[in-house]
Amino acid sequence: MTKRNHAAWAALFLAPSAIPLVLFTLVPMVSSIRISLLSWNLISPPRFVGLENYARLLTAPATARVFGNTLGYVVGYLPLVYVGGLLLALALNARLPARGFFRALYFLPVITSWVVVALVWKWLLNPSNGLVNAVLGAVGAPQPGWWTDPNWALASVIIASAWKDLGFVMVILLAGLQSIPADLYEAARIDGASARRTFWHITLPLLTPSTFFVVVISLINGFQVFDQVYVMTGGGPEGASQVVVGQIYDLTFRYGRAGEAAALSWLLFAVILAVTVVQMWGQRRWVHHD
Amino acid sequence: MTRAWRWVLLVVVTAGAVVMMFPFAWTVVTSITPDGSLADGPTLIVQDPTLDAYRTLFASLPMLRIIANSIGVAVACTALQLVTGSMAGYAFARLEFRGKGVVFAGYLATLMIPLQVLVVPLFIQFKDWNLHDTMLALIAPAAASAFGVFLLRQAIEAVPREFDEAATIDGAGHLRIFALIVLPLIRPALATTGILAFMASWNSFLWPLVVIRSPEFQTLPLGLATLQGQFTTQWDVVMAGSVVSIVPIALVYLFAQRHVIAGVSHTGLK
Amino acid sequence: MLARSIRLVAAAAAGLLALTACAQGSATKPQEPAGTASGPVTITYMNFGANGGHEKDLASIADAFTAANPDVTVKIETVPYADYFTKLQTAVAAGTASDAFELNYENFVTYTANGTLAELGGVDGSVYKPSLLEAFASGGKQYGLPESFSDVVLFYNADLFKAAGVEVPTADWTWADETAAAQKLTDKGKKVWGDYQPVTFYEFYKALAQTGGSFLNADGTATAFNSPQGIKAAQWLVNKPGKTMPTAADGAGTPDWDTKQFKNGKLAMWHSGIWMFDGLKDASFNWDIVVEPGDTTKASAMFANAAVVNAKSPNAAAAQKWITFLTSSDAMVKTRLDSSWELPPIADTSKVSSYLTKGKPANRQAVFDALDDTVLPPVITSQQEMQDAVTNELGAAAAGRKTVEKAVADAAAAVDALLK
Repeated sequence: MTKRNHAAWAALFLAPSAIPLVLFTLVPMVSSIRISLLSWNLISPPRFVGLENYARLLTAPATARVFGNTLGYVVGYLPLVYVGGLLLALALNARLPARGFFRALYFLPVITSWVVVALVWKWLLNPSNGLVNAVLGAVGAPQPGWWTDPNWALASVIIASAWKDLGFVMVILLAGLQSIPADLYEAARIDGASARRTFWHITLPLLTPSTFFVVVISLINGFQVFDQVYVMTGGGPEGASQVVVGQIYDLTFRYGRAGEAAALSWLLFAVILAVTVVQMWGQRRWVHHD
Repeated sequence: MTRAWRWVLLVVVTAGAVVMMFPFAWTVVTSITPDGSLADGPTLIVQDPTLDAYRTLFASLPMLRIIANSIGVAVACTALQLVTGSMAGYAFARLEFRGKGVVFAGYLATLMIPLQVLVVPLFIQFKDWNLHDTMLALIAPAAASAFGVFLLRQAIEAVPREFDEAATIDGAGHLRIFALIVLPLIRPALATTGILAFMASWNSFLWPLVVIRSPEFQTLPLGLATLQGQFTTQWDVVMAGSVVSIVPIALVYLFAQRHVIAGVSHTGLK
Repeated sequence: MLARSIRLVAAAAAGLLALTACAQGSATKPQEPAGTASGPVTITYMNFGANGGHEKDLASIADAFTAANPDVTVKIETVPYADYFTKLQTAVAAGTASDAFELNYENFVTYTANGTLAELGGVDGSVYKPSLLEAFASGGKQYGLPESFSDVVLFYNADLFKAAGVEVPTADWTWADETAAAQKLTDKGKKVWGDYQPVTFYEFYKALAQTGGSFLNADGTATAFNSPQGIKAAQWLVNKPGKTMPTAADGAGTPDWDTKQFKNGKLAMWHSGIWMFDGLKDASFNWDIVVEPGDTTKASAMFANAAVVNAKSPNAAAAQKWITFLTSSDAMVKTRLDSSWELPPIADTSKVSSYLTKGKPANRQAVFDALDDTVLPPVITSQQEMQDAVTNELGAAAAGRKTVEKAVADAAAAVDALLK
């Protein structure tokens, strides 16, 4: 079939999603650009300050710190959650008894409240009497101070987050695994391919569209991590685990600096956009299309 | 896979499942422990179980209406996102049009600004349209999500093109190809998108907090938040509320999961 | 084709700008004059104080008000404290804030400074405790009516004291007495701790007053706590965790942990608020309260809330009528006392005498004695940032990551930067 231009069809298929996205996301986004040029505490009349908010953010040490923490979070979280979620999806795609039951159980943390999950992990990672340090101590490994130590607080959040989101990645990858046509496996079996060969040459390549989705979405969401930091460490100790969106929340709703928060969110936007563009450009090299 | 390996796998998966279940189990245990408190440390032992916390919960909040509101909003958002998302996904995966890359980037860009910043301008917008404090205000902003569009676009791209090309030769238009060929084949992805959309709406807190003020429009997260006091909190009641709020999502998940499997047999059967 | 797409994009952009302009309109809309409506009106009142168990009590005060003023109906909106200010700020930003609302003392200054509150005329000040009334005035004008108050006292487990052979605390105790007793009462083997006092801003400004220091200088332009008194106050708090008090790793800071420990008889002394009385009424051991020990002088923390009227309310007169009733009527006094809610702010102590004999703790007189020497939190425009900075620095000192001297100096520098 030759390539045709389907502009009219495209307009029809896109309109239902484009209209709400423009009205309820794009328009407020444009408003937030305006707010980023204001000095505004939400309760008094705003004052126009031009690019002052951006200038202040670019020189404030807190900005570098929260971006550094956020980047650290993403770099630690993504491999953990992807590899864990992939192993889980493969395990629960195998012929096991009560497979559906297990899939539901592994999804349970995704829907359990962060308040409880945070308390469980703070207890597991308790520096003096937690299970994790007990095990580490038994094998003679160093026992970190976890969430009470500024150097380990972020790592504690990463571990808890990856654990909680495993089920989410599993669900996406399971859907991907199941859309791989069964006849490909059948053909591989007839050719006498080993399980390992089948995995590397059929499963993994055909899973790349799902993988691509998981990576792009995890990066977009990871850069906006907030809830778990808020309930687990509150950004502490002493701001050691504060992330960009935590700072945005504080600036807007606690510190009366909504203009600065809007400016900070546009700096974050620039970073996420850059990362996503690189992803989109790079996908041609590794994502399988048929 | 050999029989031995399958046993090893089963043991590992079971052990993992116990770990994954633990926080939820603790939530349930705390909710049925008299004067239960999270401060006691995680425990799965219940002495003198009681449903008092559930009675307190249903006595202190209009739970039935709150649950009905939450279900109504979540079902509406999910249905809308499935329709808007699959249509857009089809456009991006199957139609050729000028500026497709830019438009898709524009969709993704809507995911890149944190909600915390959008809440204030969006609220002012709704107030100016005189639509604040309405159910519509809870549903409309979630009528489409770039997240769902992206997920469904990936799924539609994975559908072999020969299927719709065969239909095109038969003279089917895009609406028919979309509805009769593509949609049935992406049921796993639709189920996944549905669960995630339902969950996002179900757990949504900041926007409803800001836009809703009438008690009759209260949703579950808003209602449950009122259980936590400035100085003291009855954690057994909070945990009872948490259990009540998890059950519907779990049911949605189980329902959707059946469709994930149904979708598989479909693709497998071609 | 290309020309058409360009036109489309241009039209979309224009539409977007128009929408944005109208969306932003209300943020800068001129203020509507506060009118005095006559005839039946419905006013709205947003509050956090009734959340978590007193919703019905507030409703009964509103019913009593409408019974006395049939032309005014009050629609109450109760929001949990944790989310209250998020909601209030966005409502003020969009111009949808309720006619009257509740504010705590710390936030009152910010809202007054920004012109959000209506000046209250013709207030009969004689019914309120003078110090409370004064707290909600600014520049000689009354912007809020005191609505309730509570204070912090020292709770103690008398049975633990008896078992350890230590005399129970009295009103004459000083920090030294508390430390000595806490050391004798702490029994780490049994997981019994002698003392519990959070290491936070709220405890620091009070301890500072107890040792004779002040937080800000006289005209409020700079900090004054980077002083020997400031260091002593910080040391008082920071030296407890790990010695006579549990650390974060021991569980301190987990929600409700301290309440639970005291209830379970594992805590001998506990610095906490009188709002805990109700939750302790079923405790199986003997417990009581005293006014907190001081160092060189006595100082107790007082928390005060006010009811205020929105400057933009079209029903300001009716709203003021309501908050006057809410803060001074006998119906309110009775409801608050009967339901063990925070205390009424009224001057006439004979009306609250029933509170003294309502049961445990026996020494309820201490609640009122504490009011003889109270200290209100220092308040600046960047309130929350100041509180976070002080709490963070004290936390670093408590964990041993900084010396107390350095932490106090750093906290002072951070707060000074906010005052510029």
